[in-house]
Formats: sequence, C-alpha cells, structure tokens
Amino acid sequence: MAYSVIFTVISFLLCVAAVLAVFGIIHVYMSGPDAIERDGMLSGSVAPSWSLSDSAGRIHQSPPASGLQLIIFGNHALKAFPSLLEGLRELSDLDPALDIVVLSDGDSSLTAPFFEVIGLGHFAVIAGSRSLYARYNVRVSPFMILVDSAGRVRASSLVNHDWQVTTLYKIACLEPDPADQPGTAHRGNQLAKA
Amino acid sequence: MNQTAAAAKACVAVILLVAGGAKLADLSGFSATLRLFLPRKTPHLAIRGSAVGVVAAELVLGGASLCWPGGRWLNPVILALTCAFVIVTAAGFAIFRGRSCRCFGALSSKKFDLLSIARSGVLVVAAGLATGRLGPTAALSDLDSALLAMASALLVLATFTAVRALDASATNLGRT
Repeated sequence: MAYSVIFTVISFLLCVAAVLAVFGIIHVYMSGPDAIERDGMLSGSVAPSWSLSDSAGRIHQSPPASGLQLIIFGNHALKAFPSLLEGLRELSDLDPALDIVVLSDGDSSLTAPFFEVIGLGHFAVIAGSRSLYARYNVRVSPFMILVDSAGRVRASSLVNHDWQVTTLYKIACLEPDPADQPGTAHRGNQLAKA
Repeated sequence: MNQTAAAAKACVAVILLVAGGAKLADLSGFSATLRLFLPRKTPHLAIRGSAVGVVAAELVLGGASLCWPGGRWLNPVILALTCAFVIVTAAGFAIFRGRSCRCFGALSSKKFDLLSIARSGVLVVAAGLATGRLGPTAALSDLDSALLAMASALLVLATFTAVRALDASATNLGRT
C-alpha cells in the first residue's frame, strides 16, 4: 500500500484517538477530586519569591524575613470566604507575628476595604496576577499556603471552613524542617487528604 | 520500514500538536515552569515570549510533520526538539523534583520524575524511528495535506477548548 495512504489513515485515527483521550482526561478531572487535589505545592518545596506592594503602598516580600507567612489566594467575593473569617481572626490572635498576605485574584481595591471593615485591616492585600498564581500552582480558591523564612512551603490546601485555617497552621507548625528530613514532603491540599 | 516510520511520524506529530494546544491554553502555567529554568531576573515578557516560542515550535513542527511528511528536514529538527525535552525533564528531575512539568499544560498533573524522563525517552525513540527512509511515495496529495491540516487544526482547537474548560471549572469552584 502506498505510504501516503497509510500515513493519512494512521494520522486521522491518531487525531480522533487524541481528541477522545483529551476529553476523557478532562471528564475524569471534572468529575472527581483530581480537579482540586493537584493544586498547590509540595510541603518542603521551594516557594516562589517575590516583592510586591500592597494596596496601601507598603512593600511585602515572600519568603518572610522571619517566622511564618500565610498566603491567602482569593478575594472577599468568593462564596466560601465568609466561612474563613473567624478562622483567620482566631489565627491572627493565636500568632500575632504571623505575616498574613492576601493575594487577591479579584479587584484588590475592594478587598482591602473589606478587611478594614471586619477588623482585619492589618492583613496585607496584594493584587495577585494569574502568572503569580501559576507559580504557586494554584487555580482554585480560596487556597492557603504557609511559607517559612527559609522559603520552604510548610503546608498548602484549599480551605472552605474556618477550622481548616487553624488546622492548616497547626500542620505547618508540626511539619518537620524539610532540610533535616528529606522525603517527608506531602502533596498540596493536605486537608483534603486528611 | 515505511509503515513503522509513518506510524512513528504520525504519533510524534499528534503528541506535539496536543502538547502545543494544551500549553497554549495554559500559557501562565507553562511560563511558571519555564521560569524555573531561567535566571531569576529574567523579565516576565521574556519568559512569556519563550513560552510562546516553545508552543509555536511544537505546533508548527507537529502540523508540518503531519501535513508534509515528505519534508526530510523536519525529522532531525523534531528529533532535536525531543532530545531537548529529555534534557529538560532530566534537569527538572535533578533540580525541581516533584514540581509540575506542565508538558501538557493543565491537561496533565505530571511532575518531574523518572517516569517523565522515560516518557521523553520514548518520544525520542519515536522521533528516531520517524527519521527512517519513507520511500518514493512519501509525498501526500494536495487533498490529503489539506485534510490533515484541517484535522491538525481541529485537534489543537479541541485540546485548547478542553483545557480552558477544565481551567475554568477549577477556577470557578467556590465563586459566587
């Protein structure tokens, strides 16, 4: 048989198979927990570093100079966000030194006043770009990642309830220093796996 | 030999098209992976430009290989590209083990691991097989080329749309 016929037939079949495979994969992702469980970063992995100014013009950086930094991905307009507020307030009281940064994926000029009104005005609200979200491998929100001063991810997860905020913080505090114990890293979304 | 080379060539071309289409739909994610391999101070525009360059190379080479399989010059170029994939995955495994490689954009949650190197190796073998002599009937008719060009475009479009839909479904979780 002529090469051209073989090639054309094989190519068509492969194109059809590829389309079916792509839609099959998409179906699996959309119908199961895989859509969100693959988000976030491994605990112990190196977190992206950046230096950005918040809505008040103050410069913030990640990783933090000392202690832990909680990075919140999302904005006040999220359906689940009100459920997190008590958890964030509790966490803020629990560890006043904790550097809490909101990387807003919406209009940060509206998110900052929201935190002022509810008494959490000390949270830094920064406009988070899509590319910055991608560097943290975050597509779903609200999502939280805890980073230590060494630039290592301590914990990361999708959060929908206030208790998850404090639990994630406790997980981050319990997490052994990854530099001392390599191979103990967890996938992102630790609460979802728990 | 003809049939093996033809099948290998078609396989590699389709994989390049799917990978290119998926990366195109998730350029931010792929740029984040590229950023790992570039100097820290590389401007965002340069990173995005590099990402577009890789995507364009995959789409052009995949499309050209599928529509004009008789072009012998394509084979070594595609072989070189697949070898570059092996080098990148090996470097990713050595330096950024466990991070998402985004070889297929948001379509895949694969990471830099030994399996990713093996997958790239298989692609190199396929690209190597595709460099085999295709024979005197290698040139497609204009109609075949046009049909395969249409199939390539539809494949890229379907992949792009599917990945965008996946991304949108994930991003909108929990939104008002």
